[in-house]
Amino acid sequence: MSEGTVLIIGAGPAGLEAARSVAELGYSAVLVEKRDRLGGMPDEANYAKLTHHFLDAGEAIGELAAAATGHENVQVLTSSQVTHVEGEPGAFRVGIQNGAGAKTVNAGAIIVATGFQHFDPGRETQYYNYYSFPDVITIADLEGMLKAHQVVRPSNGQPPERVAFIQCVGSRDRQIGNEFCSKVCCGIASKQAIEVKQQLPDSRVMIFYIDMRMYGYWENELYWPAQEQYHVNYVKGLVSEILPKGDRLLVRGEDTTMGRPMEVTLDLVVLSVGMEPSAGTRSMAEVLGLEQNKYGYIAAGGPTGIDPVATSRPGVFVVGAAAGPSDLDDSFATAGLAAARAVATIRRSNGA
Amino acid sequence: MDAGLDKVDAIWEKEVAIVDGIDISGPWNRMFEQRVVWEYTPELIDKVAALPGAESFSWCYQCAKCVPVCPVDMVGDYGPRKLYRKAQTGVDLFTSDDLWLCTTCMNCVRVCKKVVDMVKIMPAVREQAVLDGFVPEELQKAFEDTAKYGNPLGQSQRKRAAWTKKSDVPVPIMKDLKRPVDVLWYVGSYPSYHPRGIDAALAAARIFHALGVDYGILGREEKDDGDSQRLAGETGLFEMLAEHNISMFEKYEWNLMVVTGPHEYNAFKKEYKQRFGFDRPIQHYTQFLADRLDDLKPLLKHEVPLKVTFHDPCYLGRHHGEYDAPRALLQAIPGLELIEMGRCRENGYCCGGGGGGMWLDSFTQNHTVMRLSERRVLEAAAYGAEVLAVACPFEVSRFEDAAKSTGNDQLRVLDILELLDMSMRGVSA
Repeated sequence: MSEGTVLIIGAGPAGLEAARSVAELGYSAVLVEKRDRLGGMPDEANYAKLTHHFLDAGEAIGELAAAATGHENVQVLTSSQVTHVEGEPGAFRVGIQNGAGAKTVNAGAIIVATGFQHFDPGRETQYYNYYSFPDVITIADLEGMLKAHQVVRPSNGQPPERVAFIQCVGSRDRQIGNEFCSKVCCGIASKQAIEVKQQLPDSRVMIFYIDMRMYGYWENELYWPAQEQYHVNYVKGLVSEILPKGDRLLVRGEDTTMGRPMEVTLDLVVLSVGMEPSAGTRSMAEVLGLEQNKYGYIAAGGPTGIDPVATSRPGVFVVGAAAGPSDLDDSFATAGLAAARAVATIRRSNGA
Repeated sequence: MDAGLDKVDAIWEKEVAIVDGIDISGPWNRMFEQRVVWEYTPELIDKVAALPGAESFSWCYQCAKCVPVCPVDMVGDYGPRKLYRKAQTGVDLFTSDDLWLCTTCMNCVRVCKKVVDMVKIMPAVREQAVLDGFVPEELQKAFEDTAKYGNPLGQSQRKRAAWTKKSDVPVPIMKDLKRPVDVLWYVGSYPSYHPRGIDAALAAARIFHALGVDYGILGREEKDDGDSQRLAGETGLFEMLAEHNISMFEKYEWNLMVVTGPHEYNAFKKEYKQRFGFDRPIQHYTQFLADRLDDLKPLLKHEVPLKVTFHDPCYLGRHHGEYDAPRALLQAIPGLELIEMGRCRENGYCCGGGGGGMWLDSFTQNHTVMRLSERRVLEAAAYGAEVLAVACPFEVSRFEDAAKSTGNDQLRVLDILELLDMSMRGVSA
């Protein structure tokens, strides 16, 4: 049966969906997860609702995990890490380490689903004084507050009257080396702006942006409702600096469509931090000998250059945000494709 | 009539104009500027970006982070991202007044997500404008004076060491010394000639003497570093001065060069190195003295009980990352209370003197509501400072004038050298 096994690294949305797909195709899936819990970043970072569906993140990810773990073909190894891989397509030997010791799993194909981490606004410079001003938070911080229905100013525990999001923090930036667009932050900020207005109807919410990137249905499901129903103010022009003003924050920027300077007093500023490859993505790329792009993501494309799940190593596939900024739809789509490719790899090596 | 002209007519029909609540309606107030954008002009962006060093001009994606931190926009209507937009809609930067407003303070580059490098773009375009003869008159005069006299103040080269006669301690001149020294002190044009610059030079001489520094100056053999002239577009003049100065630096034996000014520091450490391979140890005086704080502290015997704020020079701070040495010196002065302004360190404001601004005072004034130096003095006064401390020879005169013109005569402007000297000697300036 070992030739019929796909090893999947990482149990976030993409890894869980890949495991479920492999299992439903009639093959075995071994799902290796570093943490002691399943669900990946939405679980780890306490997401409230999913973008763009507005589904309760805990419930949706819980159902996904249950669908994978509940399948008889899926074996889950939590608190476990892949230490080395040898062999070739159809016959990989994967070393796995956990609290119980080391063991080797034979697998015909491997799917890497090690995901992303949120950009740290203090990594390069003190971006917008994130580490000095308690009322400057990130979209990841706000998710936790929304989930707890406790949207407050960390400095005094009071609900904010005026909230603003600053887009593209840690993305589209040559200076820090993250030149890519993180793809999801425009949607997440709009989703969160709606949620803030739902929880604090009297608050005023603004979004400072360079370009709003609301592709496909995000336009009508997030951007338009935010503006039309929830009266979120979208202002074109990024904030340059945040200064203390009494016990509030003064943001300075330029309203570029008006060509005028802008100084707005706020209670809570939310940095729309982008995605970066997770530590797990970087280390698995090394362990598996996979080519990475200049940003540290696992290079996808394969020989044709257009295969979103192929890596530089035959028989090893990459899904979700391990290959670059992804939303949940991307993660599901690539997970299903990788499951099909992995199964096809095994069938080919079996002479099918 | 075509549709475009209809649109213009509609605007011309506008009959009411109310500005600040005052009705100034009348035919003279109707639109006199073309409202409709008839044409986009990417070639005017390309024209800039085609110059070596100016490639990044075409990268701007209009996020506008540069505008609020631009010291010129704070007193006017400028801002790097606007230059791109203007070029896109028909403004030729090579002949635009905007070209001369940038002080190369580098705050835009600091926050720019795409690393559009105005510190390289502006000199490149200005160089071409200078060749084409589009130069503000007062700047042209500074160029000519520098070329003729070796300094932008138009003072005699023979009198470059005249200030040393006022010194109550010996100021050794290399030519007379005829032996190697430990430190070559490059004094600079403003400390050599400007009355307030000379005060700082005299203070430096006393401090070096008290510390027992084995040093010498070049005196008449020293010429202006030329870096600000280069940033203002006169590359040829810069190269001429660089060749002269380097030949003088190489004529004598020394271990370390100490410079009074941050612009000179940038010139020798970066530009002379990159362009002429001049690669010797150089320190700004604040760094040199901060390294000798253990020897300096016992000399600072007298209290200087003043509330002092420090203006970070753009070319010491942002350009070379030195924020701590000046503060270490100020904090070593007994009795002195150091307070920080909102715009300090990385986000420090600009005095307006860099990148040729020193010689564009009237020109810039026509495009701003107040001088940059005046804006800074107002900030210092608002923070309740008694002294605005500086570490750049451009700044003393600029800020002193600004303190007077804004009615803040109570604010004293002193070089850190002067404050150290006050503490050493127990005299008030």
